Amino acid sequence: MTFPRRHFHEELKTIEQELVLMAGMAERAVGRAVDALFRNDITLAGEVVAEDQLIDDKYLLIHEKWLETMALQTPVAIDLRLMSSVLHLLVTLERMGDQATNIAKIVKSIEAHTREPRILEHLREMGDLVQPMVRTAMEAFVQRDLALALRVPEMDEPVNRLNRSMTTEVARCAPDQEVLEWAVPMLMVSRALERVGDQAVDIAEQVAFLLTGEFQEFTRPDTEPYDH
Amino acid sequence: MAGEDPGVVITATAARGAADDGTPVTQAMETVDMSVFYGSFRAVKNVSLQFRDHRITALIGPSGCGKSTVLRAFNRMNDLIPTSRVEGRVFFHGNDIYEESVDPVEVRRRVGMVFQKPNPFPKSIYSNVAWGAKVNGYKGNMDDLVEQSLRQAALWDEVNDKLDQSGLSLSGGQQQRLCIARTIAVKPEIILMDEPTSALDPIATLRIEELIQELKDRYTIIIVTHNMQQAARASDFTAFLNMDQDRAGQVVEFGATAELFTRPARKETEDYITGRFG
Repeated sequence: MTFPRRHFHEELKTIEQELVLMAGMAERAVGRAVDALFRNDITLAGEVVAEDQLIDDKYLLIHEKWLETMALQTPVAIDLRLMSSVLHLLVTLERMGDQATNIAKIVKSIEAHTREPRILEHLREMGDLVQPMVRTAMEAFVQRDLALALRVPEMDEPVNRLNRSMTTEVARCAPDQEVLEWAVPMLMVSRALERVGDQAVDIAEQVAFLLTGEFQEFTRPDTEPYDH
Repeated sequence: MAGEDPGVVITATAARGAADDGTPVTQAMETVDMSVFYGSFRAVKNVSLQFRDHRITALIGPSGCGKSTVLRAFNRMNDLIPTSRVEGRVFFHGNDIYEESVDPVEVRRRVGMVFQKPNPFPKSIYSNVAWGAKVNGYKGNMDDLVEQSLRQAALWDEVNDKLDQSGLSLSGGQQQRLCIARTIAVKPEIILMDEPTSALDPIATLRIEELIQELKDRYTIIIVTHNMQQAARASDFTAFLNMDQDRAGQVVEFGATAELFTRPARKETEDYITGRFG
């Protein structure tokens, strides 16, 4: 068998590999941001903020390659769907890096406050849930595994549940003004982690689109469950 | 709709006889289990396709898969090859063009053809356009017909002050548009185009593609092209043909062009259009 477009397909492979590296950077940034929060480590938080530039640089690099490939190679069929998915993942991963930065900035801003261990554990649990979601979604992308992609929205359910219960946790801190001042920004941390979970689901949706050619939201409450 | 061949995937709305909104559509041309032979060699087999009125249908596939053979069967051009024969049915607005009573010359008037290389006659621009109509005994105003045909072929503005000059004095792209004007002048209903831009530069190619879009309001167009991007840009429906193990061409997939180029139903189609074809 010959492959008349070998050079083009090697370019696609390169773009995909760069994207996987970027996903690793974004996921690691989320993990380090949660670590910084847990350890009240502003040095680590500062590193997370600074390293977001590396994720942005990767975004620009991949976007440039993407644009060039679209202009010069005019992909079709599965190659076109891959390029569409790549662009979607690119934006999603860049925003994931921004969520990690948001968490890190909050860590830096509330360093001196009294902390509530129960809320910290709550957020730690959320962090422990969303990182495997990102890994699973990216693994499904690399392996072109629809069944694996379909597991991601299931993994998102406990994250959403924990995020919803965070309001109650924060409200419990109300009697202590100093703890409350620390706890309120934790709602934003919780929201950021919940967004990371949603972004992992977005990636999984793109995997399904890539493989089936049909786009379907996995987790819209007003539609039937995804049935592939 | 796949005839005898269960492997063919036909997703085109045209094949279901209805537009997307459910309204019935007219088929200008239809083949049912059409096979074309050259002597004992079957060049194409069991082609069952429908070509919707006032739409552009592209035939794509690797060299030797029988695209041009299929196209030439639509106006009985294969009759000019002594050993050729057609089996199955080829309907033009419901009438089988291979019935004994059918005059192939009349078929070729109503189903015109534009070839790969521009082939104007070594005569004036005017004569090139007027020739076919004259042969057919056209009784109307010939000047008007020539102007109208050249306008439809998007050539009038470039040649109206030099109609007496030789058609061969024009550029390649202009010559091809002259050939299209010549085809239009005999008032066909279908225009067959066999790689009409393969000998042209990119700008001339885009002009012809633009012209094809304009012509579909008046004509049904079936185009054979090696250029997949051209099929994607210029056609409403696409049929992908490939050879089987006996080297006979057959339809693998037929569908709306946008569908076929974003999510083809058959892996064979996908491998071909993405360049993974061996």
